[in-house]
Amino acid sequence: MTASKPIPASKQALVVQPGDRGIDPRGPRFSAGITAVLLLLVIGLSLSGATAPAATLRERAGQPAFILFAVITVLFVWGASAGVSRHPYGWLYRTLVRPRLGAPTHLEDPTPPTFSQGVGLVVTLFGVVLHLAGVPYGLVIFAAVAFIAAFLNSVFDYCLGCQIYLLLLRAGVIRLKADASA
Amino acid sequence: MSPLAITATLIALVGASTLIGLVWRATTGRIHEVVPSNERIHVSELLAGAVAGSSATLLQFSTEFCSPCRTTNSLLGELATEFPGITHVDVDVTSRPALADRFSLLQSPTTFILDSTGTVRARISGAPRIADLRAELSRIREAA
Repeated sequence: MTASKPIPASKQALVVQPGDRGIDPRGPRFSAGITAVLLLLVIGLSLSGATAPAATLRERAGQPAFILFAVITVLFVWGASAGVSRHPYGWLYRTLVRPRLGAPTHLEDPTPPTFSQGVGLVVTLFGVVLHLAGVPYGLVIFAAVAFIAAFLNSVFDYCLGCQIYLLLLRAGVIRLKADASA
Repeated sequence: MSPLAITATLIALVGASTLIGLVWRATTGRIHEVVPSNERIHVSELLAGAVAGSSATLLQFSTEFCSPCRTTNSLLGELATEFPGITHVDVDVTSRPALADRFSLLQSPTTFILDSTGTVRARISGAPRIADLRAELSRIREAA
């Protein structure tokens, strides 16, 4: 593959190795942007409903804000397991957005963005559980947290996973299988 | 909540997020000078085959799923070839939480600038600012 412009030195290590499938690095940021907008919608819908949580589980599960939030959560499951390349937003990006942009300067390893999907999943799962349990504003709070993370990633290329991974590691929350033999 | 109040709340959320982003941008990657302690770091103990630089060592701590870590790795590697006497060592702490505790690592990447004796002189959290780092390394080279 011949590049028309040299790859900036700082991005060299992200370049996917020959033989591996890489992704356009702008794709995950586009996906984060869609997620951010949808989360704003979730918050708006949730705030426009009654302030006290609905009485029954069925009612809570049927609220539009929750349904949309559940869809977002499922998409995170998809992204975290199948990888960002096989994700509907990835498809949207490749079909609608990418043809309108210039070719990427390089392709990147999809593993870090896939991990970020896992981070998003954990946050939204908290919101799902709290909402179904009837905790007031459980949905709004965690949708807001997820929004901030998605927004920062999309607009500022901020990596929340990088920020918290070490802290979780040190706290023992994350334990890798490699540790068993160490 | 009234539509107006909801809109105001959403705008406030976006505004607050933008503020967080700008503050992060302004503070990340800065070089923080550290008061020299008695602790000496021997990089060969942290990573087999690692070599300390004769004027300075760029000791980077990375984790596995971290894009900025890889970017930083490229960057520091380039700088190490550019400045003779300065080497770059990248230690993956993904499966070594004890190391992360020892050096009180809060995020990845974290980079230490070690002097020729292995004493930590500066810490950089997040992807380093290229211009600042280059200036710092030039300063170290001149002082040597």
